[in-house]
Amino acid sequence: MNAYDATIWGIFILIGLATTLPRASFIVLGNRVTLPSVVQRALRYAPAAALAAIVVPDVLLVSGELAPLNPKLAAAGAAIAAALLSRNPWLPFVAGMGVLLGLKHLLG
Amino acid sequence: MTILSSSSFRAGAREGFQIFLPLSVGLIPWALVTGMSMVSIGMTPLQAMGMNVIVFAGTAQLGTLPLIAAGAPLWLIVATALALNLRFLIFSAAIAQGFRGHGGGARWLSGHLLTDGVFATCVAKMMAVEDKEWRLGYYLAPSLWSWLLWQTFALIGVLAAGSIPKTWSLEFMATIALMVLLIPMAKMRPMLVAAATGGLTAVVLNGLPLRLGLFAGIFAGIAAGLAADHWHTKGEAA
Repeated sequence: MNAYDATIWGIFILIGLATTLPRASFIVLGNRVTLPSVVQRALRYAPAAALAAIVVPDVLLVSGELAPLNPKLAAAGAAIAAALLSRNPWLPFVAGMGVLLGLKHLLG
Repeated sequence: MTILSSSSFRAGAREGFQIFLPLSVGLIPWALVTGMSMVSIGMTPLQAMGMNVIVFAGTAQLGTLPLIAAGAPLWLIVATALALNLRFLIFSAAIAQGFRGHGGGARWLSGHLLTDGVFATCVAKMMAVEDKEWRLGYYLAPSLWSWLLWQTFALIGVLAAGSIPKTWSLEFMATIALMVLLIPMAKMRPMLVAAATGGLTAVVLNGLPLRLGLFAGIFAGIAAGLAADHWHTKGEAA
């Protein structure tokens, strides 16, 4: 870490650029760049695909291995059920964390 | 600054904030974990908060930390950050029309503040609503709230590093928040196909480096969604 002291701020700025430029890209370019309509239609599915690609491995895998009976999957089920059955926005968090911590406690 | 006092900007800001508030709790554990992780590889509190303000992206920060700690070459650190951020090109393109009528300053600020949660929350109404000031308020209120939460709880993580027990599994709250965002989307058939395909692909390809399984999942999900959309439309026409 010490060897990086002088350059670490430069590293932060480069990582920052590698983050802000993709984020700002089309928002800043606006109408000067238009995407073909098939790409625009495809983009409608990007959020659902990305969210699922982040969430599903997180609840199905434990240390990279498929684990269909792990506490996180049961907790995810409880959170989804709460979101479907109730309009209370906090309930999925209460149900999910309650099941997760309860099962972890029971399983030691 | 006149836009800040416009009543439609404030009405949009109020609505965006109310919708995003419960989901935003998912940011808290990530910010805490990120703050603690930065200190754990030997950064000073000033360096950690410097990175947190400059980068403002949990995935890119957490993903590059092991490389920084290991003294990896600069190009690899930057390439990894770019790979982790490619999804923002897609999000940026998808939400760009929501900023129609606004100038460069508002666009750069909005672009810098673009996050997964705000994108998923705002994109539909950003397309539909005509009032440009309402749209900017609706986008900026949750964005600035995310920024504030991110800095505040990262700072708490930096200062509290080591004293929060890992057994609390607080990071799972972020997963719950993402699922809550996904549920209303998955009620449409092609979206459900996109989500199922994206999720399962990411599971199967989980072993790939640089989170490439995530990108593969996103692209497979989009392709499956388009295909399902195609068949769905055909079925209705027949």
